Amino acid sequence: MIKNSFKSILLTLSIAMLPFLMNGQPSIAEGKTLFKNNCASCHAKNMKSKATGPALGGAVERWTADYPIEDLYSWVRNSQKLVSIGHPRAVQLYNEWNKSVMQPAEFLTDDNIASLFLYIDDVFINGGKKQVVNGESVAEVESETPAWLYYLLFGFLAILALILARITSNLNFIASEKEGGTYERKTLWQTLTSKSVVGFVLFALVLFGGYTTVNNAVNLGRQEGYAPKQPIEFSHETHAGLNKIDCQYCHDGARRSKHSVIPAANTCMNCHKAITVGSKHGTAEITKIFASIGFNPNNNLYIDNYEDLSTEEVEAIYTKWIGDNYLEEADLQELDKEGKRVVADQWNNIYTSLTNDQKTKVQGPIEWVRIHNLPDHVYFNHAQHVTVGKLECQQCHGAVEEMEVMQQHSPLSMGWCINCHRQTEVKFADNAYYNSYEKYHEELKSGDRDAVTVEDIGGLECQKCHY
Amino acid sequence: MSKNSIWIGEKDLTQDESFLESVEQEFKSPNVLENSDVITDQSSNRRDFLKYLGFGVGAATVAAGCDIPIKRAIPYVIKPDEIVPGVATYYASSYVEGGDYCPILVKCREGRPIKVEGNDLSTMTHGGTSARAQAAVLGLYDTNRYKNPQHKSDKEFSDISWADLDKAIIEKLGAAKNVRIVTNTNISPSSNEAIKEFVAAYPSTKVVTYDPVSSSAMLEANEMSFGDRVIPGYRFDKADVIVSFNADFLGTWISPIEFANQYIKNRKVSGPKSKMSRHVQVESHMSMTGSNADYRILIKPSEQGEAIAFLHGQITGTGGGSQLNDKAKAGLTKIAAELKAAKGQSLVVSGSNNTYEQVLINDINNVLGNYGMTLGFSDASYQRQGNEGNLDALVSEMNGGRVDALIVMGANPAYDFAKADAFKNSLEKVATKIAVNYQPNETTALCNYIAPTHHFLESWGDAEPKRGQYSIIQPTIRPLFKTRQGEASLLTWANSSAYDTNAEQPYLDFIKAYWKSNMFGNQSEFASFQGFWDNALHDGVLGGQGSGTEKTFNVDVSLAKSKVSKPSNSELEIVFYETANMGNGQFSTNPWLQEMPDPVARTTWGNYLAVPVNFDGNKKFIGFNGLNDGDLAELTVGDEKFTLPVVKQFGMAPGTIALALGYGRSNAGKCGTGVGVNVNKVLTMSEGMTQYYSDQVQVSGTVGKEDHFSCVQYHHTIGVKATNNDGDRINADEATLGQTAYGVGITGYQGSLTERSVIYNSTLKDLPKKLAEMQKKRDIAKHLNDATLYPFDEYTENLYSQGHHWGMHVDLNSCIGCNACTVACVAENNVPVVGKKEVSRHHEMTWLRIDRYYFGEAENPNVVYQPMMCQHCDNAPCENVCPVNATNHSSEGLNQMAYNRCVGTRYCANNCPYKVRRFNWLDYTTADIFPGNQPTLNSEEIPFGADNLTRMVLNPDVTVRSRGVIEKCSFCVQRIQEGKLTAKSEGRRLQDTDVRTACQSACPTGAITFGDRNNKKGDLSKLWNSQMNYIALEEVNVQSSVNYTMKVVNRDESLDA
Repeated sequence: MIKNSFKSILLTLSIAMLPFLMNGQPSIAEGKTLFKNNCASCHAKNMKSKATGPALGGAVERWTADYPIEDLYSWVRNSQKLVSIGHPRAVQLYNEWNKSVMQPAEFLTDDNIASLFLYIDDVFINGGKKQVVNGESVAEVESETPAWLYYLLFGFLAILALILARITSNLNFIASEKEGGTYERKTLWQTLTSKSVVGFVLFALVLFGGYTTVNNAVNLGRQEGYAPKQPIEFSHETHAGLNKIDCQYCHDGARRSKHSVIPAANTCMNCHKAITVGSKHGTAEITKIFASIGFNPNNNLYIDNYEDLSTEEVEAIYTKWIGDNYLEEADLQELDKEGKRVVADQWNNIYTSLTNDQKTKVQGPIEWVRIHNLPDHVYFNHAQHVTVGKLECQQCHGAVEEMEVMQQHSPLSMGWCINCHRQTEVKFADNAYYNSYEKYHEELKSGDRDAVTVEDIGGLECQKCHY
Repeated sequence: MSKNSIWIGEKDLTQDESFLESVEQEFKSPNVLENSDVITDQSSNRRDFLKYLGFGVGAATVAAGCDIPIKRAIPYVIKPDEIVPGVATYYASSYVEGGDYCPILVKCREGRPIKVEGNDLSTMTHGGTSARAQAAVLGLYDTNRYKNPQHKSDKEFSDISWADLDKAIIEKLGAAKNVRIVTNTNISPSSNEAIKEFVAAYPSTKVVTYDPVSSSAMLEANEMSFGDRVIPGYRFDKADVIVSFNADFLGTWISPIEFANQYIKNRKVSGPKSKMSRHVQVESHMSMTGSNADYRILIKPSEQGEAIAFLHGQITGTGGGSQLNDKAKAGLTKIAAELKAAKGQSLVVSGSNNTYEQVLINDINNVLGNYGMTLGFSDASYQRQGNEGNLDALVSEMNGGRVDALIVMGANPAYDFAKADAFKNSLEKVATKIAVNYQPNETTALCNYIAPTHHFLESWGDAEPKRGQYSIIQPTIRPLFKTRQGEASLLTWANSSAYDTNAEQPYLDFIKAYWKSNMFGNQSEFASFQGFWDNALHDGVLGGQGSGTEKTFNVDVSLAKSKVSKPSNSELEIVFYETANMGNGQFSTNPWLQEMPDPVARTTWGNYLAVPVNFDGNKKFIGFNGLNDGDLAELTVGDEKFTLPVVKQFGMAPGTIALALGYGRSNAGKCGTGVGVNVNKVLTMSEGMTQYYSDQVQVSGTVGKEDHFSCVQYHHTIGVKATNNDGDRINADEATLGQTAYGVGITGYQGSLTERSVIYNSTLKDLPKKLAEMQKKRDIAKHLNDATLYPFDEYTENLYSQGHHWGMHVDLNSCIGCNACTVACVAENNVPVVGKKEVSRHHEMTWLRIDRYYFGEAENPNVVYQPMMCQHCDNAPCENVCPVNATNHSSEGLNQMAYNRCVGTRYCANNCPYKVRRFNWLDYTTADIFPGNQPTLNSEEIPFGADNLTRMVLNPDVTVRSRGVIEKCSFCVQRIQEGKLTAKSEGRRLQDTDVRTACQSACPTGAITFGDRNNKKGDLSKLWNSQMNYIALEEVNVQSSVNYTMKVVNRDESLDA
């Protein structure tokens, strides 16, 4: 009975909890997800700066000063509706932002929008720090296997071995006592320095040493997990993950060339002519693109004869931009001490990122650190894999859309290539090129063969990659 | 000795002992004890080895402990639309060097030109190229180029700015009373327009044009005969009988790519019923064209006038040429009959530089009715315009102090003019001497201003090689240095109103304006000029129909006949000739061309005195004066003495020796300076025309040995027979087979040499018989091959029957030995240049060589060229012996070479029956990261390709090999892979045109065909199934993937008598 009633209470409780779990009350966490999915492509993440759309921090206060909150909510759901009925604030905003239309989001409930604004205010006022820290630290604890557990286990086993050794020794002692012989009891030191122990330790060391040496030798020159600091703190997570920009929009060589191609600065400018302030780093990183290509964000124009400007002239342009932006964000009229520090730091960072021993000028290409390096005697062609093989980029490069800092996902070793060539099936039926493999086609038809792998058409041969 | 046996040279013919010994060693390594210099130079010993070992281990440890070296990925700031990194772009342009012309496509990678291909759209060359055109891309990255304008003060050149240079020159020119411009032939209409602008600004200016190797007698003769001072257009494809008096029209004469393409159309033989033209060459030394002739009539150089007069007499019935030698008379009498039988379908040409001889040639063609048929003026050629008589006159003018400013544009008269010394002396009397050139030479050294020009791959330009045929030169790279186009310099100094110096590309605007007013109106296809221009730029070539009219022949022939050159009584005469690689020195700064073997003599890095050979009646062929290959001899021509190496040459006229022009440059960078001897200074002029022979000549006996005799003829030989201990010739494979199968015969000859099938040849008449003989031999080979354990048929069925199975075919009748393929292969595959000393040690690295064999009479043999490259054997002997499996076979029938696996045992090269594998003895490319391994080894610097500028020419798709690995022809696997990828991306079957190897696309005569053997309807299958087809060394059962065509000559016994 008791058991049963306990069960029923649990059931009732969970049913009662269900709506809460499903819809819940407005929460910052929910707001964050909603913002990421629906708003972040146009509105700045710091809620303070303008992006494609206005800064959202303080929006509630601005609206509720003159209009009921419902107006704001319907504006969020479908701004055009509000504009069409001539809501004065809506029309004013619409005109202020060059008549660009905000994507409608009719599916948002009032609670959803409330969550959104909770999150927005949280970031606006607290910088969102509390939330983020909590979320991340939880994840870390879960994923980490504690190393101390191994040490504990190792220590335990060592003590056990010692105790067992003592017990054996005692048993031997008792046995020899019984038989009337004399048994000299070995000290701990004697046990440890005995031939068998020393022999075993040496053996173990050689084995371990050999294993490590071979492994390290095999891995020489391999850079799995290599994630160097780049001149620009470019986030693939923001671009490919959050904003869902197609990989080949920037890496446009992948479909037609051996190289996937690091995009030129003018490719960046396709978007960053409009998005001049970053959601995460503000002016600190995006300004580097401007300084490379010679775009003046102060007046949205490219600079004539940019190559010929002196470093001081370049500095003047971009420090003005950084400073102005700081003033706008901090809502100040004049740079305070902090502001001066920010401007100096950012410019310093720009200068050091864009120059090196060989390149003394800020102007010119951004010298990225190359992550994926193949030896010179390896020929690899992206087009073959992307266009013909129809592989996803992620298969070799990992979940780049989740990488804040780009890193090498695969070992890029020959064994790794070969393995994939052994396992991957060729898109045999869809490409008329493969019609010349008549025998395989017959075998496929007759059912003698399930699939044709890359290996079957010579994908393991030396001169497919080495020439 | 039978008339059809093949020999590669005198050493083979006489079974020279040292040669037989050397053919048994794959690699002739220097004997350490004999070559003391090797020991002294090679400073490494055991102790050093330990040091290096210690350093190596230490360095590796340190390196391993350090961070990963940071590599940069540097993108464009603003990416040009047409460039995708990793994908080649092709631009149509034209290779023009004086009168040398070839329409080309320039392959660029990431903005660097790396390879030249022929332009298929050209009606002149049909996509063919020459070795010179192929090598031109290397000139762009020549470290010897001028990088800045220069001014000479106190005998030293110093850099100045363009502004200062222009200011100084304009000042000097303004004050000058007499300005002269010296150039080589200029076929650019816009360039001529620029010169006109210059002349308008400085009206005292006169232009003197001459050619490094003169054809002015032809121009003069045509002026006399037709009133038109041009070279006619030739149509060798329309001629059934071709007689050439010392005109090397396949190698160097006027427009060799065009002529080779035409010539070969009548020379391809597919069976006994094929028609074939007859080509008779009347000459003194074995020229490249002569080596392709069916029959050669040998005359001394001074007999040429008599020979032409004799033929003229025979054709017209007027007599003459009585002093000619009897053998030549007999030959010419017969060929005259053939010419008369082929009226309107014959062609007689001559390389003579005697006006009257050329007039006679004109009359012969006129009487034969050839004008308008096989040659004519409607598409006359502008490729030779020079008149060295004018240059001679200029020298007198300068000596008289009547010239105050001289502009030398591209030309090098201080080296290549017959009176170079007089020219140099007279230069001292000229106040202002301006050189407009792209690299230093003998003439620029004497000037006081240097206005450096772009390389043609950096320039805008146009060309009109023949009347009504135009092509465009467009830049393929931004100028590497502070140079300026020559024409732009002239226009700047002229302060021309047609030239806007503020424009972005002023010379482009100038050309466009010229084309708009002169070319645009002549066509109706395009309504807008921009459309017309864009199309011309895209195609690279324009026009094709001749625009001129035919002329009437009108000249006093009998006067001409009396004025031909007269035979000399001298016992010895020397002939000077131009080679396909060196020209007259214009190309000596190019290491690819220096290392390219002369097609006939097969010598590299220098000019070798070719001496005739005589049979001693017993066993030996003795060189003239007892001289032997590699001996040094003293040559006296006129007052000049030279000491130079000798090469014995078959097919020379008795009492004649020959020496190449274009060597012995004194100011040609580190590649060309001091290579060979300069013979220009012994050339004489007669009636204002340079004569390329002399009878004032003496040759000593042997005075020494050449240090590094770099003739490749006896390197990497195949198919030489073996001799047993009793001196009997034996067939070792058969002996071995007898031993293993039946237990009889001689032992100990496994893998030795045998009576092998390397070349099959025939005359056109004997073809049915010879084909049957060849078939019989092939059947025997097949029979031998059936006794194999190697299950080739099984492999073929299971492995090669689907997908691709690559193969090649080489038509020996089409191959003229020009070496365009060799240089194209070097350019495509990053093959290193090794230098003279290394070549002399058999270390040349070329993947594709052209073997030259003689057959027929020893006194006057025929020649067959056999391009030899890796045969990609499906039963490859090299693969079985590699201890590390570095060379192995692909499912597409490719013999693969994995450089990084190779440990350098060279077993494969030893086991290769075709001798096509090459070993990197030294770090020729400086690919090795340890400086200690980089060669100044053996006291010889290996400078070629080691510089970062020169390395820009490397093909990024091909690995640069380092020291200690074997390499060889890969069938251009990078192109195969690229072609496959194109087909895959487009989702279609691969076509033969998707993959063209570098040698195939370079060939001016279409001798090489590459394709998929599984494509039963392809060109390759057709050729392989032809009755003319054979496999070299078929009997060794290596299942080679390269097949050849039987060589056929249209030689008739009646001509031999």
